[in-house]
Amino acid sequence: MITLNVNGETHRVDVPPDMPLLWVLRDVVGLNGTKFGCGIAQCGACTVHLDGKPVRSCILPVASVGARAVTTVEAVGQSPSGKKIQEAWLALEVVQCGYCQSGQVMSAAALLARNPNPSDADIDAAMAGNICRCGTYSRIRAAIKQASQA
Amino acid sequence: MKRWGLWFLGLVAVIVVAAAAFFFLPHRLDAVASPGPAAGPDLIARGEYVAQAADCAACHSVPGGKPFAGGLPFTLGFGTIYAPNITPDKETGIGTWSDAEFVRAMRHGVGKAGEDLYPAFPYAAYALMSDEDILAVKAYLSSLTPVRAQAPANDLKFPFNQRYLMRAWKLLFLPGERMTPDPSHPPEWNRGAYLVEALGHCGECHTPRNALFALDQERKFAGAEAAGWKAYNISSDKQTGIGDWTDRQLTDYLSKGHAEGRGSASGSMAEVVDHSLRHLTPEDIRAMVAYLRTVPPQTSDLAAAINPNPPAAKAPSPYAPPPDENTRETVGLKLFQGACASCHGWNGEGLQHSHAGLAGSQSVNDPKGTNALNVILHGARMDTPDGEVFMPGFAAGYTDVEIAAVTNYVLGHFGGKQAAVSPADVAAARR
Repeated sequence: MITLNVNGETHRVDVPPDMPLLWVLRDVVGLNGTKFGCGIAQCGACTVHLDGKPVRSCILPVASVGARAVTTVEAVGQSPSGKKIQEAWLALEVVQCGYCQSGQVMSAAALLARNPNPSDADIDAAMAGNICRCGTYSRIRAAIKQASQA
Repeated sequence: MKRWGLWFLGLVAVIVVAAAAFFFLPHRLDAVASPGPAAGPDLIARGEYVAQAADCAACHSVPGGKPFAGGLPFTLGFGTIYAPNITPDKETGIGTWSDAEFVRAMRHGVGKAGEDLYPAFPYAAYALMSDEDILAVKAYLSSLTPVRAQAPANDLKFPFNQRYLMRAWKLLFLPGERMTPDPSHPPEWNRGAYLVEALGHCGECHTPRNALFALDQERKFAGAEAAGWKAYNISSDKQTGIGDWTDRQLTDYLSKGHAEGRGSASGSMAEVVDHSLRHLTPEDIRAMVAYLRTVPPQTSDLAAAINPNPPAAKAPSPYAPPPDENTRETVGLKLFQGACASCHGWNGEGLQHSHAGLAGSQSVNDPKGTNALNVILHGARMDTPDGEVFMPGFAAGYTDVEIAAVTNYVLGHFGGKQAAVSPADVAAARR
């Protein structure tokens, strides 16, 4: 049994220690907002926060989470930066197909939390690991800028 | 004159006969004592531990194959040798070997039929093992499920395919006696010496070889290249060896494959941690460290000195490079940004997992980038107490020019090195 703190709730899950956190979140805890993309930490679709830091849940063994707080896209709106990001995302209609967007929102929220006023270069550095097949990058950058002024 | 000619002919005849006897007389098979009262499950458990410490599985298995079923190729300059099946299968493994034959193989490098074995099998190290440990390994291997798997026949050029020539090699390089404790050192040091020299056979990769492919013991642990990877200097030299590592860093690196401020094991060393070192007791790891500390320093040009203050140290956080790098927007930086930064971070501490921390690692401080390039192309993996940590290989996703650019960026950013890995180097490392 592994104890996880997900979105402020304690979950006790009976899974192998090397199961990736993404599997646990989707299939055991039942939070389907976080998406599987590449499975090798190359696309960013599975991004969640551990104590506020963005990590790729597809390759993170659940046993290495420990006592750190897991935040998924379902609860990121409860933090000030996450709320601003989600509002800007809606205002600018960033999303096209949407598959990568929960990961984009998580990376953007983590960026805004540690850097309230990011430059274009800061945004590129923080968001380059999140890939969007629809090419919504320019709207993502604009939304992060708008959120930083909100 | 005629008499001198006869003398000379006689002398030649004696030499020829002596040489023929040396090379072709059958090997002796010495009797060995039975393992004694420790037989049964205890002996098997001990044998499993010794086999782990001796890292038998690394060579006698192929990735994804059954453990100990053999078949791993060793590609050498003069041909290919295949590791044999050492499961107890009667036809393709060692199921019909006697204890005496097994001890003879481990100690004298002689096969069941009396043939001389090639020293790719590190019997020059195993010759130092105690009979009890060798027989424990035999008991463990005998307890495994037999796997029917015929290893391919060796493919060696003449004269290397003449096994009897190994007798000359053994005469020169095979230790005649097993290891006895050195009373001038405490028991912990002696245990460490046994683990490092006899079981772990660390020198097989970390000690340079002489012209006859034997270990140059004058340069013990000075570092060497093997199978396209660098096995770094692990002598007590402070600049290029491990003399400057803390005890904590050494024990962490050996037992977990990662030490804060020293990077992570990769390639063959990651396999050593996986198959062998992480299974050892904390006491045995400490003993190895105690022994390694006393190996005389050797300087080596294999690893450049670690740069303690590379550009990575100036990164304000794991999330962004220093501003001067970020505005330059080189190809290497852009690739790192997209493919690497989300796990490794920018400041060397690692973002996804501690094993992704690159600060202080020898691989990113080597201006030739040999190991860094291998990892970028082929990836890395290791089992940890938390589960598997891994990095995918990028060989299929990027061109030689891109891989060279990101490798040079990594060596510059994390090692402070002016590296010049070329696309041709990348093409060669793709294999």
